[in-house]
Amino acid sequence: MIRVENISKRHEGRMVLKDVSMDIAEGANIGLIGPGGGGKSLILKIICGLVTPDSGNVFIDDIDVHSLGPTELADLRFRIGMLFQNYALFDFMNCADNIAFPLRQEGTHSEEEIAEAVHQALHDISLPDIGHLYPNELSGGMKKRVSFARAVIRRPPIVFYDDPTAGLDPVTSSKIFILLRKIQTELGVTSVTISHDIGGIKEICDRFVLLDQGKIIFEGDRDEIEASEIPIVKKFWHGFSDDELNV
Amino acid sequence: MSPMHKIARTFQRPLHLLGDWAMGWFHHIGGLGLLTWQVLVYLLPWKWNFDGPETWRTMYRVGVKSFPIVVVTAVLVGAIMVIQSGLYIEQYGAHGLLGWGAGYAILRSVGPILIGLMFSGRVGANNTAELGTMKVTDQIDALRALSIDPVAYLVMPRFMAMIVMMFLLVVVGNATALIGGALTSQFLLDVNMVLFFQSVVTYVLLEDLMHGLMKSVAFGFAIAIISCYFGLQTSGGAVGVGRAVNASVVGSAIALFAIDYAITYAAL
Amino acid sequence: MSDQPLQSDENGETSAFRRLLSSLGEPVLEVAQTIKGIFQVFGLTWYYMLKGRPRWKATVEQLHEVGNRSVLFITVTLGFLGMILIYQAGYQAERITGDLQMLGGLFLQLLLREFAPTITAMMIATRVATGMAAQIGSMVVTEQVDALRMCAAQPVDYLVVPRFIATTIMMVVLSIFAVLVAYSAGAMTAYFSFGLNVRTFVDMSFIGWFDVLLGLSKALAYGMAIPIVACHAGLNVFGGSEGVGRATTNAVVNASLAVVFLDFVISGLGYVILGLVT
Repeated sequence: MIRVENISKRHEGRMVLKDVSMDIAEGANIGLIGPGGGGKSLILKIICGLVTPDSGNVFIDDIDVHSLGPTELADLRFRIGMLFQNYALFDFMNCADNIAFPLRQEGTHSEEEIAEAVHQALHDISLPDIGHLYPNELSGGMKKRVSFARAVIRRPPIVFYDDPTAGLDPVTSSKIFILLRKIQTELGVTSVTISHDIGGIKEICDRFVLLDQGKIIFEGDRDEIEASEIPIVKKFWHGFSDDELNV
Repeated sequence: MSPMHKIARTFQRPLHLLGDWAMGWFHHIGGLGLLTWQVLVYLLPWKWNFDGPETWRTMYRVGVKSFPIVVVTAVLVGAIMVIQSGLYIEQYGAHGLLGWGAGYAILRSVGPILIGLMFSGRVGANNTAELGTMKVTDQIDALRALSIDPVAYLVMPRFMAMIVMMFLLVVVGNATALIGGALTSQFLLDVNMVLFFQSVVTYVLLEDLMHGLMKSVAFGFAIAIISCYFGLQTSGGAVGVGRAVNASVVGSAIALFAIDYAITYAAL
Repeated sequence: MSDQPLQSDENGETSAFRRLLSSLGEPVLEVAQTIKGIFQVFGLTWYYMLKGRPRWKATVEQLHEVGNRSVLFITVTLGFLGMILIYQAGYQAERITGDLQMLGGLFLQLLLREFAPTITAMMIATRVATGMAAQIGSMVVTEQVDALRMCAAQPVDYLVVPRFIATTIMMVVLSIFAVLVAYSAGAMTAYFSFGLNVRTFVDMSFIGWFDVLLGLSKALAYGMAIPIVACHAGLNVFGGSEGVGRATTNAVVNASLAVVFLDFVISGLGYVILGLVT
């Protein structure tokens, strides 16, 4: 469904991605792990066409993302939901308008439909009464959940989660993962999740990719990653290392 | 809520806003006064406290960074003043007065204030952004924790560098503005540039030049204090840094015009 | 900053000559790139303004932000400017001719032609351009602009167009307001310091269509340039709070430079046109 071919990207004189290729099959739930600054977020942004790579191609359903004009790109993005690392809630709109924004942009829904959808979405994230509040009045976990509601309000077939539990306490994190799980079973989406919370993504992902210094070090399903003998994979998956003092 | 209560609230609202506004202003004025006091105390010979090498580095940064912008601005300002004077000179045919009209305006008032505004934008804003970023990333607190006084270490070098460099840049700016004016008068107005310079030398007094230079020192002082103050006051992440820069340049602009007025008033 | 690192020669060392070339070329490239980017935003803004749907609410909000909230600032600064100019001019006139009859008329003419639009624009470049760059810049670093694009809203359409329309309108309005403020302040100074009657001071006989037209075209040009330059700086932020600081600095410097440059061009054109007409 999504094919990434030989992507390279240089940022401020440093190679952030070096010749990365991966395939994401329809319905797959990929967990993308790896040390910070390894280019994980950048891959997601390149797939959505937010960032243009220096070389390489991205195909979504055999459409070359980076050859599209603004209108076609907009149409393509209607089918992708993205949960950003820093919430990315519009701070000049209240939460209800934030969640409604993708639907309003489509321009094909009536205001009643939108209001109904927003009501349902707020109910789904168990925050039914915060529609009138502005993002800066919410806690981090609430913002993540509102941002999540906005990402999936269009019921997109593809969803990307960029570190959905960054900076959250364990209880809130588990609530977020329950939400992700729910949307997967309900909609059968194709998803990519970036996270450092191994316990969480173990639950929701069926394939795992480890990215380090712009290269894919490991790719495989749960059994394969459990059994992997590559040191950095072991370090990430089990949370310890044999040469801890030498790091 | 009872209707009486509502009416009372409606009447209180403007007072509330006025009070908030006044509190904000007095807060800033007090803070600026305190920072000025601290800086002046460190200038006393027996309390002499600032980082020498850091001052040199800051001077280099401040001066070199703003040099191209000041030169470009000054050339354009000179040209504009000559064109504006030219519109009148043409009317009365008094070509010998072109240098006087343009030179007087540039040296005494327009030059320092426009270069001051540019300086506030380039150096003042940059300074606020730098200190603001240090503040929101807790670097200022880290300095305090190492028992280094942020005023001595961060504010003093910038204060010295900005006053000296503002003065020097106005000197350079005056010269380039006159050159820009002379070129414009030669090529656009068809007034010989020798005549232009003769007119400048004959009619513009040394006092006019000194008046402009005096302003430049005062401007440097104000921009330094204001930009450092708003930088050290920053809170609230990236949004806060943007807000601090905005406050700093607005404050500097108001201070520039107020000081310009005060000096003009005092000199006459 | 260029994306490519310095090219190395065979020994893996950069030669002194290459370093010299790159240190000369880099600023030139940077300026060229900035100018190109600004014109791109300018073109896109017109495209979306003519083709996109109007956003009344956002435009009215920006009108309030640019206009109403600048009134106090413009009053203070232009008021001082009026007093300063009359002091300087009155002093000179007294010294040289001893005749203050023409002071008010010439002052009004000079305000219209030069000082009211230009100094107002410098003030707007200070207050509004930094505000816009800071706001859009922090939207970029918090990924809100990416989120806009993911929701199929074009950032230029959504963010720049309302600011562009609002600033262009308000620049003209504020310039007219600035003339009034500076002229009143000047009249008071002339009365209190030189004993010049306000009736003598208020003298419209020097004003012609040329002065009004020159002032208005300047205000329009500044009003279009400032939001474009500021939004360009905001949209090109990279890095966290440091990047936002850099963007606000760039916005105020570039906007002020644009104002001075446009002033030069329009004044020069005005001079040439006046020469042709008369």
